[in-house]
Amino acid sequence: MIQIDALTVQFGGIKPLDALEAQFSATICGLIGPNGAGKTTLLNVLSGFVKPIEGTILLNNAALLGLSPQRRVSLGLRRTFQQELVVDELTAMENVQAIADHVSADHANARREVATALDFVGLSTRRSVLGRQLNLFDRRRVEIAKTLIGRPKVILMDEPGAGLNEVETEELRRLLVQIPSAFDTQLVLIDHDADLIASVCVETLVLDFGKRLAMGPTRAVLDDPVVRRAYLGRE
Amino acid sequence: MTGMSKAAPLPVLAPPRAEITPWLRAITIVAVVGVVSVVIALTCGGYWLSNFTQAYCMALAVLGCALLYGQLGLVSLCQWALVGVGGWVSLRFYHYVHPPFVLTILVGGIGASVIGMIWGLPALRMRGLYLALVTLMLAGAFQSLVTVISFPVGGPGFLGQVGASGNDRITMARPVFASSDTSYFLFVAVVTVLCIFLVEIHRRSKPGRAWALIRKNEQMAAASGVRIVFYKAWAFALSGFLAGVAGALLAGLFGQLDGSAFPTTTSIVIFIGTLLGGYDVWLGAFLGGVLTRFIPALLIDLNVNTNAGFMIFGAALLFALRDPLGLGGQLTLLAERLYCKFQAQRAS
Amino acid sequence: MSLLPFIASGIGLGAVYALSSVGLVILYRASGTLNFAFGAFGGVSAFLAWQLGQEDIPAPIGWIVGIAVSTALAYGYGRLFAPKLAHRDRVVRAIATLGLALFLFGGMALYWGIGVARRLVLPTDLSFVVLFGVRLSYTRLIALGLSLAMAGGVGLFLSRTRIGLAMRALASDRHISAAIGVRVTQIDSLAWLVNGLFAGIAGILLANISRLDAGTLTFLVIPAIAAAIMARLSSLPGAFIGGMVAGMIEALLIASSPEIANLRSAGPYIAALLFLMIVGTGQGVGARE
Repeated sequence: MIQIDALTVQFGGIKPLDALEAQFSATICGLIGPNGAGKTTLLNVLSGFVKPIEGTILLNNAALLGLSPQRRVSLGLRRTFQQELVVDELTAMENVQAIADHVSADHANARREVATALDFVGLSTRRSVLGRQLNLFDRRRVEIAKTLIGRPKVILMDEPGAGLNEVETEELRRLLVQIPSAFDTQLVLIDHDADLIASVCVETLVLDFGKRLAMGPTRAVLDDPVVRRAYLGRE
Repeated sequence: MTGMSKAAPLPVLAPPRAEITPWLRAITIVAVVGVVSVVIALTCGGYWLSNFTQAYCMALAVLGCALLYGQLGLVSLCQWALVGVGGWVSLRFYHYVHPPFVLTILVGGIGASVIGMIWGLPALRMRGLYLALVTLMLAGAFQSLVTVISFPVGGPGFLGQVGASGNDRITMARPVFASSDTSYFLFVAVVTVLCIFLVEIHRRSKPGRAWALIRKNEQMAAASGVRIVFYKAWAFALSGFLAGVAGALLAGLFGQLDGSAFPTTTSIVIFIGTLLGGYDVWLGAFLGGVLTRFIPALLIDLNVNTNAGFMIFGAALLFALRDPLGLGGQLTLLAERLYCKFQAQRAS
Repeated sequence: MSLLPFIASGIGLGAVYALSSVGLVILYRASGTLNFAFGAFGGVSAFLAWQLGQEDIPAPIGWIVGIAVSTALAYGYGRLFAPKLAHRDRVVRAIATLGLALFLFGGMALYWGIGVARRLVLPTDLSFVVLFGVRLSYTRLIALGLSLAMAGGVGLFLSRTRIGLAMRALASDRHISAAIGVRVTQIDSLAWLVNGLFAGIAGILLANISRLDAGTLTFLVIPAIAAAIMARLSSLPGAFIGGMVAGMIEALLIASSPEIANLRSAGPYIAALLFLMIVGTGQGVGARE
């Protein structure tokens, strides 16, 4: 669970996040909002790349702010990025091994966890394929497999569905839904695909101008007229 | 994009890694370096034998430089200065203790490694250009320093100097099992192979994977639990160690080192050799390093002013920047393609 | 002990470093390239001026030819070669200029030799003033005046003219500048031209104040870079002051004990490194490329 209080980020004259109050407590949470609402900034604050000028964040009751990104990883935080970041010259397995090197308890655990993760995302047969030879969906799956290593507690995913076709999105949906129970972890998801969010996320937080616009059960939030106006008003 | 900037994306080789086992790689390294070395040992006398021994030492220096640039995109322009540091430390250690030669080499390597880290660590947090500048400055500062204090020759005190007459100079002895020019050259060849193994082992295991993540994107690496400064420092330490070993070997070759022989320009030439040879494969470091010594030696042999060498290297750099593979890279790619064809034919 | 004599004797060298540092910062701000060949350009200028003087050609013509050639070299590089690396990162572009520097250094050393004790004599050497007990040739005072004038002139140019505005826009954001119609290649070429001009003048002055030697002139770029670093590679006044300070520190080191004097060339390096470590680069690791 993530508890956010009075979180404010300032860049020059802009406040991407403005006294944000929110909570991610459901197994799978959505994070949506119009472009520029502050979603990726929030993830960057959670990851430790951006320092807020104010506010607190608790991850399962442990204070997150002030900890290095690596320390947060050891607390169970995991993350994927908007751009896929698979290393071209390592194989799929080596890409996942690279995180196991640093988060798994020991060698034996590392091998087991890497195999389990690759198996879960369906890349066991392509484990020895070089990163540069993997297609987009494979790369996304490698990124997801990386988050499943070493007892994750909260996994943040930034637009995992971007650029995928219908079949791939359906497979992605199937995977995401199973992650919390298979790995005993929480999932926080940013995506622009309302259907994906609706079918996967139990609760959803809507951001607009760095503030909380709505938070609650996903269907209710998506049907909320205030939320719709925020989206439509922008387009 | 907020946060850490990503390291320069370097275009690298795509070897069909699945088919190149560690054993095959190891055998290839031993075979190539071995054959080349045996040919040199059998055909070369005094002048060229000494120059090839030096060339192998340069190859070690280039190996370290290529490690930093190829694995992490870090430009180090002080590698020759670190070779000098290694030489100085090993000579100082030798005159103090008279230890077994292998120990001297290790101490030289560690000494250069530590100095390199002290100078480089502050710069590791800065943008890549600053590291290049800081290392260039280390090279310049070292050139000034060593011209003044020279290298230890068995005299008293920390600096180990003797009087102007120079009659009391003690030179460093070569190991008993490698005292002739030919045997020393082969000894250096063996050390070279071992160092290449050391680097390859790093590249294919945990540090290599961490370096690959850091090079791809530092934020992503941090979000994967990689301690960035630690792994950068490790690469720096290893690179410095290789330079130090080269320095110790050079000290052993000549028995002493010349304070005027460590100009800044040679550090720059080593980086050029890194690019010319190809920074992503061991063969690149080997060829690049050998070239940096071979070309000047050839010019001397042909009675051409060695400053022409600077012109050659300078121009070569301008063109090497356009080709990321380098000579070694191209050859390795060719070899791997042939090997794949061979495998395919065997299978059919 | 009064520092004034050292300040005085460091004026000439400081002026050269200041001029060089400003030249480097201008080019870096406009094109994102740190020009390691700055000193080498200056060396070519100085050697040509000297060589023409040896052929009994009137000195002013020698200077003009030297400065013109170094300007042309810089412009040529900026126009023909630099664009090919425009898409690469800053380090690669800087390394390329290092190759150019090495090439020119080799050429100068080949043709004119290394380690030959030579100075480029200028007519203003003959007259001098005494400042704080130190004899200063007119040349050094002129160097100071010239550096101030050129640095000031360029500063005005950047802030008052349209082209200067375009150059500042380019420094701020290349892509956006190109998108709004700033002629990127033209501005770049202009920046390189100015760089070559500054280098040509700095080279002649240094060949007079210090030595006409391929190594000394080429590696002028090191203290100049050290000074530019202290200006965070962005501030013109900072670059100027940094250069003056570097020159004065070097004068101080020369005047101290012989041992330290030999190490004086390490002075700027160590100063720059300490500065970077203590003060930081002012942009941090998160700076955009």
